[in-house]
Amino acid sequence: MKEQESIPVTKVARSAKFVKTGIQIGGNYIKHYSKKIFNPELSRDELNEDNAADIYNSLSELKGSALKIAQMLSMDKNVLPRAYVDKFSLSQYNAPPLSGPLIVRTFTKLFGKAPDLIFDKFNLRSENAASIGQVHKAVLNGKELAVKIQYPGVGDSISSDIKMVKPIAFRLLGMSEKEFTVYVKEVEERLLEETDYELEVQRSIEISQACSSLENVVFPTYYPALSGHRVITMDWMNGLHLKEFLQTDPSQALRNKIGQALWDFYNFQQHELRKVHADPHPGNFLITPDERLAIIDFGCIKQLPDDFYYPFFSLVSADVLADKAKTIDAFRKLEMIWPTDTPQQVEFYYKAYKEMIELFAKPYASETFDFSKEEYFDRLYAYGDQIARMPEFKQARGVKHFIYINRTNFGLYNILHDLRAQVKTDKYKPHLQAANP
Amino acid sequence: MATAAQIQDAYIDYVLTHNEEPKSVYVFAKNIGITEQEFYNFYSSFIAVEKAIWVDLTIEAIDKIQQQEVWATYTSREKILAFFYAYIELLKSKRSFVVYSLKKSRTHVSTPEVLHGTRTVFEAFAENIIKSGLDSGELADRRFLSKRYKDALWIQFGIILNFWINDSSTNFEKTDEAIERGVNVTFNLFQRSPLDDIIDYGKFVARNSRFKERMRF
Repeated sequence: MKEQESIPVTKVARSAKFVKTGIQIGGNYIKHYSKKIFNPELSRDELNEDNAADIYNSLSELKGSALKIAQMLSMDKNVLPRAYVDKFSLSQYNAPPLSGPLIVRTFTKLFGKAPDLIFDKFNLRSENAASIGQVHKAVLNGKELAVKIQYPGVGDSISSDIKMVKPIAFRLLGMSEKEFTVYVKEVEERLLEETDYELEVQRSIEISQACSSLENVVFPTYYPALSGHRVITMDWMNGLHLKEFLQTDPSQALRNKIGQALWDFYNFQQHELRKVHADPHPGNFLITPDERLAIIDFGCIKQLPDDFYYPFFSLVSADVLADKAKTIDAFRKLEMIWPTDTPQQVEFYYKAYKEMIELFAKPYASETFDFSKEEYFDRLYAYGDQIARMPEFKQARGVKHFIYINRTNFGLYNILHDLRAQVKTDKYKPHLQAANP
Repeated sequence: MATAAQIQDAYIDYVLTHNEEPKSVYVFAKNIGITEQEFYNFYSSFIAVEKAIWVDLTIEAIDKIQQQEVWATYTSREKILAFFYAYIELLKSKRSFVVYSLKKSRTHVSTPEVLHGTRTVFEAFAENIIKSGLDSGELADRRFLSKRYKDALWIQFGIILNFWINDSSTNFEKTDEAIERGVNVTFNLFQRSPLDDIIDYGKFVARNSRFKERMRF
């Protein structure tokens, strides 16, 4: 692969990239509407595809947090039209690597020694990119290791990047800036956490230990002594990425086994640990040769506070959702319905969100759920499309925790769908608040 | 018996403590307990001491990177990158002196006098790397221009040094970015570009069309 020759580093250079994207998107709209004059049948798909391509090109040149945002948007298949998603999914794989001497430099700064003096073997060519860093293969005492190295200055540039991504994100999601600030702040916090590799090592160890009893899930061992604020060293995991795995045409039983591991991993975290690996993009998982699921990235962890967890997951239980008063009460707690809403608005949002929750809760409603069913996902996408078009949803609603919890769960559903897995969903069930406080 | 290194260290200590060079060699020698003659055995003047400190640092950086196992596998671009990273790391140990030395001799001339010897060392090093880059085809061989590549790298040298002495970011991370960016820009210019193709094509057309014949009429 060709190495990226330069990253637009300064704020000005980065801004220029975004401005360019903005202009291109504007151009795409003009192109779209001028074509539409002659061909009213023209769907928005082509426009969306043009936009997605331009945004992707610009984001992937930026690397760092911008790439992360691209990755993140690509997870929200439920919000974004499919054309966006397909393009953005590209950013989940291989971004271009940085120069060898800079890697040596990073090591020298952190450990006082070049990587070839720390490890028995160290490959200066990176194996793949991890959005804000890249992964190298190393050998120490006969053990193969994966060494993740972060690009310099990522933390510094996140906040300024977000400011610039904002207008584009608003256009993508069709929301106004002011209403969106709370959410952007949430994203910014998570992204900043993600640049803290020391925190990531600590969490990786913590969560992999807590999840060690789960069946068919494996974690690499982490080496804190060989890690620092910009380097993480862990075991090298052999295995296939999801796409490659599916190309091997695995049996239904195997797909179920992997899907089950994935489901257990996520629901154990959500309901037992109350903090969850909130980055279910396919690049973070490997399927090992002994048919287990390896989890290789703990950069993004979302905590679920009680005041979110209980109202939200109470909705998953069928009897709450059947009770209109209780449902509305939960919606109010989650700020999906506001105190200022008129009775008509309450009714409107009640219906719209009830549909969403019903869709979301579907896998929990029965003992097993078949994620291969197209109709379920078509309904999900249709619902997302419909919401995106409704003017009522121009304003952002719901507490900020939804961003990552939605991304996590719908991300999970999507991966399970790609796996066409049938999963037992009753193993780690949501906890309901025992009694009224 | 004094050694060159002792004199260098004492000199650095003196200028950093007093923020100016000693009044005379006599005073300086007396201060550090050697004779004037011993001083002159090694250096002819204070500026010669400073030059020597710079040259020694530069040679040390070059030696260091060439000892790295990966050195042989690097492209020309990576070799220059590696040099600057190692150099800045090494300079860190004498940052106060570097800042003193450069700020004192800041002139409008492109190369301050203290860096004269360093320039010779660096250019010899760079020329070698450029030559291997030209041989391997990594860099474009352009008549007249190829000879100036080393000058472009010397300019980069100055830019990076200046950036570093004014850098206030944590652990000089911004300087790392400046190196990555600056060296890449310079090397992109050294590589074959569409402009080379245009010139080549122009030559081809001129040679093969009837242009010349027509000119005879």
